[in-house]
Amino acid sequence: MTYEQRLTDFRHYVGTGGKVEATDWMPDDYRAGVLKFIEMHANSEMMGAIPEREQIPHAPSLQRKMSLTAKVQDEVGHSQLLYRIAEDLGKSRETMYLDLVNGRSKFHNVFHYPTRHWGDVAVIGWLIDGAALVTQAALLESSYAPYTRVLKRICAEEQLHLRHGEDITLELASGTDKQRAMFKDALDRWWLPIVHFFGPKSNVGKDLLLRWRVKTRTNEDLRAEFLDRYVPKILELGFSFPTPVPFEFEGHWVLREEDIDWAPLDAIKRNQGPETARRLELRRSTYEQHAWVRQALAEPATQVA
Amino acid sequence: MDVYEVFRRSGHKQPFEHCGTVTAPDSAMALLMAKECYLRREEGQYMWVTRRSDIHSWSDEALFEPAADKSYRFAHAYRDVVRKRELARRRAGQL
Repeated sequence: MTYEQRLTDFRHYVGTGGKVEATDWMPDDYRAGVLKFIEMHANSEMMGAIPEREQIPHAPSLQRKMSLTAKVQDEVGHSQLLYRIAEDLGKSRETMYLDLVNGRSKFHNVFHYPTRHWGDVAVIGWLIDGAALVTQAALLESSYAPYTRVLKRICAEEQLHLRHGEDITLELASGTDKQRAMFKDALDRWWLPIVHFFGPKSNVGKDLLLRWRVKTRTNEDLRAEFLDRYVPKILELGFSFPTPVPFEFEGHWVLREEDIDWAPLDAIKRNQGPETARRLELRRSTYEQHAWVRQALAEPATQVA
Repeated sequence: MDVYEVFRRSGHKQPFEHCGTVTAPDSAMALLMAKECYLRREEGQYMWVTRRSDIHSWSDEALFEPAADKSYRFAHAYRDVVRKRELARRRAGQL
């Protein structure tokens, strides 16, 4: 069979809902595309643990401190699951680490921003995890089967994180004026990054990941689902939005494209976000400080007489 | 470092099921990693790990295609029971 025939068969296979395993034949572009996508997801879980980790010392109670710590551990765990399946596509963990800290690979825009106080934990836990869950649930239908199996587990834990974040939000929203102001301040700072989170409008004709059903829905479609689901809930709690302000149109909550300022997202794509350098430096120094652990683990246990 | 396949079972009524993979230098460490990754919320009480290289599979899945019609192995080969029972009942009436 020629390469062209194999490629045609593969396109037809994934185009009609076929699932691909790590050991199956796949076009080089598919392998590279899936690897890049999963690696970016893994990087985001790893780097996403850092902003919330910053707030662990500021938790208002021991219970909140323990639950936030567990959540941060879950996120690091997700990155381990994802790096593991990315490795099976042919890139070593060491190289993925080096590409991350040297800015050759990416992580999600929302993790390039600073956290200021406990209100940020509410917004991250409820709205950013909510946004992540919308995108990850859509990926459960992805054509790359090992990814969907890991995502099943990740989505189950993200559901829990969402409850955790909503619980913190409701505590602040039903609290004192100062507590409500904390949530509002965090919402004002995070709203635009959350809108950016889904990415600019998909180019359906050019996006190979969409064509090969690695992704099954467009960015704008996922953003629309998020707005419909969360805007009414935020309004119900008596909070208002900064720009871009969502409004109701034909029974849906929508944003005007011209109200979205994409410049901050473009800067982050060049790894020039407000916290990019500091977070990558933290990742690098942590990785280096823990070198002795990896070294100790890499050697099989020896019998002590 | 080797890749280990991880299996877990919850209780005695279900079989062991594959739940993922870990990278580890030996089986003891693989079990520890597997516990951290796949038993975080009481998802099972039993766990196996085995080196990926120790798992054997068919290189060609086309070999799973049955060589001949073996529909008699399935319940759907034995339909039309009502009509068949009626025939038997009629035959019994002739005795």
